[in-house]
Amino acid sequence: MMRLQTLQVGRLATASLVAHVKRATSLLPPVASLLVALVAALLGALWPGSARALDRTFAGSVQLDEHIAPGEPSTNAGTQSFYGFTTELSGKIAVDLSEHVSANVKICYGCHGFETDMAYVDLRVADELNFRVGRFSPSFGAFNLRHDPANHKLADKPLPYDMGRMLRMRDWNLGVLPSPFPDNGLEIDGTHWFGDKLQLDYAAYAVSGFKGGETGLDIDFAQSHSGSLYYVDNNNTPAGGGRVALTAKLGPRTDLTVGGSGMYGTFDPQSRLSYAIFGADVSLRIGRTNLRAEWLMRRQEFDATDQAQLKYTVPPSGGDFFVKHGAYVEMEHPLGAGVDGIVRVDGLLRLGNVAAGSPLTNDSSVLRYTIGGSYLVARGVRLKLTPELWQFSYADSSGRKVEASLHTAVAGAF
Amino acid sequence: MRCRRAIAAALLGAGLVACPSAMERTEGMDPSVVVAEERADYAVYADRCSKCHSLGRSLHSGITDDAFWRMYVERMRRQPGSGISEEDMQPILRFLHWYSQKQKAGG
Repeated sequence: MMRLQTLQVGRLATASLVAHVKRATSLLPPVASLLVALVAALLGALWPGSARALDRTFAGSVQLDEHIAPGEPSTNAGTQSFYGFTTELSGKIAVDLSEHVSANVKICYGCHGFETDMAYVDLRVADELNFRVGRFSPSFGAFNLRHDPANHKLADKPLPYDMGRMLRMRDWNLGVLPSPFPDNGLEIDGTHWFGDKLQLDYAAYAVSGFKGGETGLDIDFAQSHSGSLYYVDNNNTPAGGGRVALTAKLGPRTDLTVGGSGMYGTFDPQSRLSYAIFGADVSLRIGRTNLRAEWLMRRQEFDATDQAQLKYTVPPSGGDFFVKHGAYVEMEHPLGAGVDGIVRVDGLLRLGNVAAGSPLTNDSSVLRYTIGGSYLVARGVRLKLTPELWQFSYADSSGRKVEASLHTAVAGAF
Repeated sequence: MRCRRAIAAALLGAGLVACPSAMERTEGMDPSVVVAEERADYAVYADRCSKCHSLGRSLHSGITDDAFWRMYVERMRRQPGSGISEEDMQPILRFLHWYSQKQKAGG
C-alpha cells in the first residue's frame, strides 16, 4: 500500500514537472521546446518512483608486475637488462539509482598517476535503448570489457591494445588502440535478444577524441588521457564511432560472439589530421575454454609540411599517412584446480612513413609468442607467469631482432 | 642486482605457490559445499558469470538482498556479449539467494 502511494505521488510529480516545463518553454522556438519537453519527460519517466534505498557495489583490483628482458638494453646505467616494474590499482563504485538509472565511477592508478577511467550515468529506457553520458571507454572491440588486470589472466594486454608493457614501446608509440581509452561524451547503446539463443549488441557514440600536437606525427596518448592537461577537447570537433556484435548460444555451455567496430576523428588542434580505427573480433567459449581472435587497424594522417622530420620523402601525390595493424589469437584453458593455461600469438604491423631517426622502416613488424600460466593463490588473488618471445623485423642498437622476456605478476580483485 | 631480483621473484613465486594448500583453490565455490538441489543453478551461475570476471567478484560483493541481486544481475545481463538471457536469470538468482542465506547464517 505504501509503495502504491509512493508510486502515485511519483507519477503526479512527473506530470507536474512536464506541465511546468511546457509552460516555461512556451516562449522558446518550437523545436527547442519539443526537445526540452522530451528530455523532461524522459527524466520524469526514469526518475525513481519509490523511496527505496540506493544499491551500491564497490569493487577494486591491483596488479603488481615485474617485467624482465635480459637481452634488452636498459636506460639505467646500473643494470644491463630491462626491468619494468608496474603497478595498476583501481577502485570502482556502481550505484543503481533505480531500475532505469545507474552510475559508475572508477579511478585507476598506473604509470601516469591517477586517472578517471569511468564517471558516467546510464539512463536506460529499455534494454534496447540506453543513454550513457560522462566519461567512459567508448564501445570498441572485444578486449576492452576485460581490460582490468583482474579480468584477464595474462600479465599484459594483447599488443593491439598495449598501453606500455611492450618492449620497444617508444619505437611503436604503443599499440593500435591502447586500452583503456576513456573519453568524454555520449553513447547510445543497447542489447536485444532474439529468442533465447541470439543476442545483438550495438553502440554509437560521440566523444571528444584523441589528441596530438599541431605538427605531430602520431596521436599523443598521454595527452589524450591526462587530466593535468584538462579533460577538454583540443579541437572542438567530436570523434564518432560505433560497434555491432552478435552473440549466439550454440549450446548450454557454448557461446560464439562476432563483432565489428569503427571510430573516426581528428587529433590536432586545427582538426586537419584524421585517424580512423576499424576492428573485427570473434570469440568462442566452450565451457571454461576461451578462444579469442581480434584484428584492429588504424589509418593515421600526419603533418608532412616539414619533411625534415620524416624518414622518407612524401611524394607529391600524397602518402602523408601510415597504417598500423594489430592482431591477436589466444586460447585460455583450465588445466586443473585454480590453474589456467594461456597461449597467445599477437603482433603489430606498421606501414608508412616514420619520424626521422626512428629505428622503424616503412614496413615494420613485431610478433610475440606467449605461453603463460595463471595460478589461483586464494579466491581473488592470482599469480601470473607470462614468458614471451619477441620477434622484431628490425634490429636494436645491439643488433638484436629476437628478445625473450618474463612477466611475474600478482593480481588481486574484490 | 639482477641476481637478487631474480631470487626475490623466485622466492615470492614459490611462497605463493606453496601457501594455497590450506586455502580455497577455486574462484567460485567448492561444488561439494553446494547443496544438491542448488548444483544445477550454481552451474549456470558459474558458467555465465565467469565469462567476463572472476566469480569472486560477486561472491565477495557482500550483497544479501534479493532485490539488490536482481538489479546487479540485470546490469550484468545487459553487458554486451554477456550471453545471460532472461531464462538464465532465474537459476542465477536462485543460487545467489541460497548463497546469501548461507552467508547470513554464517556459513
